[in-house]
Amino acid sequence: MYSEQNVDIIPEKWYNIVPDLPEPLPPPRDHDPENSSIDLLNRILPKEVLRQEFTSSRYEPIPQEVIEQYMQIGRPTPLIRAKNLERFLKFNGKIFFKYEGATVTGSHKINTALPQAYYAANEGVQEVVTETGAGQWGTATALAATLNGIKSTVFMVKVSYEQKPLRKKIMNLYGAQVYASPSNMTDYGKKILAKDPEHPGTLGIAISEAVQYSLDHDMRYLLGSVENCVITHQTVIGQETVKQLEAIGEKADTLIGCVGGGSNFSGFTFPFIKTDVEMIATAASEVPKFSKGKYAYDMIDTAGILPELKMFSLGADFVPKSIYAGGLRYHGAAPALSLLIRKGRIKTDEVGESQSLEAFKIFSRTQGIVPAPESSHAIATAINYCRNPENQGKTVVINVSGHGLLDLSFVRD
Amino acid sequence: MPYPDRETFQSFLDDLLGMRFDYLEIGIPTEKPYYDGPVIRRTHRKAMEGFSFQYLKEVVHISRSRGKKNYALVYYNHFHEDVDGFLDKIMDSGLEGAIVPDLLTDYYDEREYLSEEFRKRNISLIPFFTSSTPDKVITEMLGLTDGWIYHGLQPSTGIRVPVSIDKMVSRIKSLCGNREIIFGFGINSAETISELKRYGADGIAVGSSLVPYMESNDHEGFSREVRMLQDGVYD
Repeated sequence: MYSEQNVDIIPEKWYNIVPDLPEPLPPPRDHDPENSSIDLLNRILPKEVLRQEFTSSRYEPIPQEVIEQYMQIGRPTPLIRAKNLERFLKFNGKIFFKYEGATVTGSHKINTALPQAYYAANEGVQEVVTETGAGQWGTATALAATLNGIKSTVFMVKVSYEQKPLRKKIMNLYGAQVYASPSNMTDYGKKILAKDPEHPGTLGIAISEAVQYSLDHDMRYLLGSVENCVITHQTVIGQETVKQLEAIGEKADTLIGCVGGGSNFSGFTFPFIKTDVEMIATAASEVPKFSKGKYAYDMIDTAGILPELKMFSLGADFVPKSIYAGGLRYHGAAPALSLLIRKGRIKTDEVGESQSLEAFKIFSRTQGIVPAPESSHAIATAINYCRNPENQGKTVVINVSGHGLLDLSFVRD
Repeated sequence: MPYPDRETFQSFLDDLLGMRFDYLEIGIPTEKPYYDGPVIRRTHRKAMEGFSFQYLKEVVHISRSRGKKNYALVYYNHFHEDVDGFLDKIMDSGLEGAIVPDLLTDYYDEREYLSEEFRKRNISLIPFFTSSTPDKVITEMLGLTDGWIYHGLQPSTGIRVPVSIDKMVSRIKSLCGNREIIFGFGINSAETISELKRYGADGIAVGSSLVPYMESNDHEGFSREVRMLQDGVYD
């Protein structure tokens, strides 16, 4: 995975889908009529990240330093034909998977953490702050910060903090300060703890704490998903996939990925938007944002510090069942992705935990790669898809957004 | 309009009409000015108290008599339930046309219908674009309208996030050909105006940066601010 032979597969530009959408992307809105949360972003985000969030440019050049960092963390990631899975399913088409678990932090999250930390460091920021649910985003932020010579603080949803001590250890190893959220480090966390000292935390609360902490200490906040610039950065996944398929003379019929906030799915599929490829986004049945969510303006964070976005959402105060796939517990989905689902360009599926666990086992036993519980949802959709006789002979590409080696307690002994 | 009250508004309008500009953008106050920042949102709430179509007509009449062209800025959420009645009043008031900033984002499917209603009345629907407006939508709207174009520099009025002005202007110009393009939203410095002009902007629209002078009844400051901005336009 550290081979430099394939480096020309890494794109030189990120792709911003906004100019190519079928309708205008609904802009962010202020939650509080007296203040501008959009203006407040100037104090929350690195300037270049904020510029990219609202740009009209279809392509953004990737700084050479970031390309080098991409190579150091394992890009390009492999596109692998899942022949054993094909045989297991008696599928006479082809199944490929793009394996984002091959990055050093084990998921796609590093693709956007690196440029965001790079821009922050370039602007003289000393420390960055973020939240993490399952731990992948916090891990990526911690590494990206240290690679760019700055410090990091991570607010980790308390239930994950307690269930996944190894994730905290990795973040600490990369030099991050990690707090269980809700915490006593912010006024918002204190308020929640005062009401319920045993509150298990949610991603919405952790986001609120991280944003407030960055404002209180004049740090900068890194965005893990949902926002458009994050998706733009994640298009390295899809752009590499396009080149890798071309190189072996294959053409995808169907792309499948899982959706938490929507960044791995969107980054994987958006570079294919001008083709007629079928796209299927899989959410968790326990977080049924596509079937039961509303397409409307909603808050990104529980505290309402950040601007509202128009998206499929179950409501910012939605508290999901404690499923293992922490990365899929978020209440909303990225606006551009939501718009394309709304327009029918992207299809959706929802998969329950037991089905995703079955897919997790099948994929581990056939391909040897232990997928992340989140990615297992996409694999479950792919398995159902390939078992449908109508889809025989097709070429299916799954985005396996991360590995599950730190999530093995997903499997009961 | 009228903000903060008719009397103050009128006195600042008199100041303004003596200065050099071509188009007067008159905000019709509404309850949900989603794409305005906190400053203009504040003016909407207050101005609703003093607004009437009769008063609008008087203001447009005065402004026209001084050689200015007049356009309304009005949210579709304010009149979508009575498009006929509202557009008849706009036509009757003597306005040349209107900018409808939420049409494409919140009422996309009504764009053709609304363009037709404007055309029937011989008033201009000024297309409102931002960085988030897709190329295809821009091209289509150009076909549905024939006036100048309003391009938002920022996601809402009165705020400033970093923008690559060169890329933004060259993109919209490449899509809009020879149509006149006016930039607004968040413009409050002569430097930004010079930069916009350098890359090919045909005009600029300002609002939020003038509001504080009206609130403190500071005519001198108001005129100084306008002149400062004009330094960018006519340098």
